[in-house]
Amino acid sequence: MLDRRESVRLQLRVLYRQFLVRVIDFEALSVQADVIKLLGQFAAILAMISIIQGGTALLANVDRMPDVARVAACWTMEHRLIATTMLAVGLFVVLSWDATFPSRRDVMVLAPLPVRARTLFLAKVAASGTVLGLCILALNVVSGITWPLVFAHGGLVGIVRSFAAYWCTIFASGAFLFCSVLIVQGFAAQLLPRRYFLRLSAFLQLAAFCLFLGVYFLQPGLVTQAAITNPENQRVFAWLPSYWFLAFFNQLNGSAHPGFALLARRAWISLALSLPGAASALLLCYFRTMRKIVEEPDIMPQANGWHWSPSLGSALQTAMLLFSFRSLVRSRQHRVVVAFYLGVGFAVALSCLNIPAAQQDLARPSLHPASLRFLISTIVMMSFAVVGVRVAFSLPVSLPANWILRVTQVHPSQDYIATTRRSLLVLAVAPILIGSAAFSLPFQLWRQVAGHLAVLGLLGVLFTELSLLRFHKIPFTCSFLPGKANVQFAFWAYLLLLIPLTEKSARSEQQALADPLRYTLVLGALGVVSFLLLVWNRLQANSAVLSFEELPSVDIMGLGLGKD
Amino acid sequence: MLELRNVSKRFSGIPAVDSVSFSARAGEVTGYLGPNGSGKSTTMNLITGLIGMTSGQILFQGQLIQQDLIAYKRHTGYVPEEPHLYTHLSGAEYLTMVAQLRNLPVKLGAQRIDGLLQLFSLHDDRHASISGYSKGMRQKVLLAAALMHNPDLLLLDEPFSGLDVGAALILRSLIQELAGRGKAVLFSSHELETVERISSRIVILHRGQIVADDSIEHLRTLMSLPTLEEIFSQLAVEQDTVSIARQIADLIHA
Repeated sequence: MLDRRESVRLQLRVLYRQFLVRVIDFEALSVQADVIKLLGQFAAILAMISIIQGGTALLANVDRMPDVARVAACWTMEHRLIATTMLAVGLFVVLSWDATFPSRRDVMVLAPLPVRARTLFLAKVAASGTVLGLCILALNVVSGITWPLVFAHGGLVGIVRSFAAYWCTIFASGAFLFCSVLIVQGFAAQLLPRRYFLRLSAFLQLAAFCLFLGVYFLQPGLVTQAAITNPENQRVFAWLPSYWFLAFFNQLNGSAHPGFALLARRAWISLALSLPGAASALLLCYFRTMRKIVEEPDIMPQANGWHWSPSLGSALQTAMLLFSFRSLVRSRQHRVVVAFYLGVGFAVALSCLNIPAAQQDLARPSLHPASLRFLISTIVMMSFAVVGVRVAFSLPVSLPANWILRVTQVHPSQDYIATTRRSLLVLAVAPILIGSAAFSLPFQLWRQVAGHLAVLGLLGVLFTELSLLRFHKIPFTCSFLPGKANVQFAFWAYLLLLIPLTEKSARSEQQALADPLRYTLVLGALGVVSFLLLVWNRLQANSAVLSFEELPSVDIMGLGLGKD
Repeated sequence: MLELRNVSKRFSGIPAVDSVSFSARAGEVTGYLGPNGSGKSTTMNLITGLIGMTSGQILFQGQLIQQDLIAYKRHTGYVPEEPHLYTHLSGAEYLTMVAQLRNLPVKLGAQRIDGLLQLFSLHDDRHASISGYSKGMRQKVLLAAALMHNPDLLLLDEPFSGLDVGAALILRSLIQELAGRGKAVLFSSHELETVERISSRIVILHRGQIVADDSIEHLRTLMSLPTLEEIFSQLAVEQDTVSIARQIADLIHA
């Protein structure tokens, strides 16, 4: 028999390993999924960002700049690196929302075993901390080496100090954000009955997601010496943690400007409050809430519910459309995926929209023609919405429950694939069209808006058909095989290729909106391409078999001699 | 009504079901028994068309089921061994979805769902999410989903699992009632007493092969054994159960 200390250490190791792989939910993955490959893809995206950011340090040539410009350039980059790290940590926190807290499954499985709450707590915190640390490390793997060299002041000691200051700041900013979210979650779990907490938690998750993206893309870039000392700006900085940690870095690096003093103090105070705050929130959850989790069911039966089941076409179309809608609305995992794409799309659209110019447009008393910014932003939103909903469709909601769709398959496969198309059009294309109309009709010439909405609708159909190529599945039912979509390449391909392409298309559309003949040609061309893709997809669907298990493509054909 | 002819299924060359032949006739309850891992659930999956067979034929009303799998599925109702459901839906939403997938007319579907929910005592919780249902409630949802389209062939894999005594008694009578109305019922269960009481015929599977296929009376006479439990032990249980129990007790005491 092991002595008590050894036994606890062994339990800790075993639980840590378990929780480490459960920080991300793997139950949706295909049986042949390569988890390492999936994590590698995410790491590759983060590392690529780091390489790009780190590479700019070599090209920046800040030493040749005049002093004022040099300081502004360094502050801009320091701020960008800190803000990007905080955004990555924020996204990590949203994706692994409940992973640090005890779940019902943990309690039910581990409570009958002689495992102390303390061991469970330490294992969970260590697992979340490890993944968070790796995430920060991957994002700064190159930039964390090249930029401290640029930021350093004088000699070897200065370089060492710059390195230490950089990594301390990066980890401190990440820890602050992570702990702040834990505090909100932890105290909400303490104060509310569990079932209300679970409902609130879903909203908190989306709110946190929107907040992180919104702050990152909308915060002002006021990093010149004059801007830092301006009292007006100081009031803004007081609400922006990335600026606190910019000041924190400069203080540690020994290059603090007097304007940073208050902000650096805020960073220290925030760390002093968030770290023990998160620790106490977590401890309370592990030592007070564990029993509550078992005693109070996650969802209480409601006596007077409302069963909404409108007719949305044939019985099959209604069934599948409602199933897709309910899965998207009720599954937290899927909501986050769609929110992620919509959020990124919204951020790109906002950066295209040029807010001050848009505000001037809105303030004009008369209606004005559709602006290029408006055309680009709606096309970007449409593409992100279609891709986001399509990605959510490919993540299953409950693999073991799929048997019912197979034993009740009394329609040919192509009918199911047609309902998938309809679901995508209703859940992704229609909301963007409605939103664009609502946003533009009161301010812009209705003929131009109607013209653009027709083009946008056809683009929506085109994106839908493109995203349904070889997608012979019912939404939310097929297992997910990571790596097939090559996210790391698609991500960069979209950024480097499609965004400029979108801008070009929007320019042609703007010219076409003023020329009826050209507009007809554009609409006709889009219509023909969409129609041809639709016909192609339908022909493919005729001989398709519905897929419920995603399998890797075989590079070498096996003879299967050992099999049946 | 349902006939299996030399059906085999191999997984990576290892036979799970080996040349199985039996039939489930209209108006009869066929009990399908076997120890864990004997191939019962695999057979059920083959019959429902969830997995393909390696060799053999499955016929429904004299037709190979593969010839028109969609038409065959219209006539079958299936309750799987595990109560896997879409737990983000409510009981009513789940059953409505199944009725729509089965193409049941809207009004008829709504009537049957409402009636089944009432009779299975689920009506009060019909709008609650299935994730909050107990195991027995989930089993009742599965039964309602399998019955709502009035199937000719009922395939029940451990249908009594999780049901309370009252619900189990209702189901027992329901199975007999449905068989009396001309349905073919094939059900697998480890509750030998129930199987003995309601089955007209028994098929016992052992290591993927059929070791008995007869009426209970005939098996009793043939083997000179008084109960199904003893017949089953003789045919399908290879181990000395008392000795193994003693070994387990010895092991944990050591």
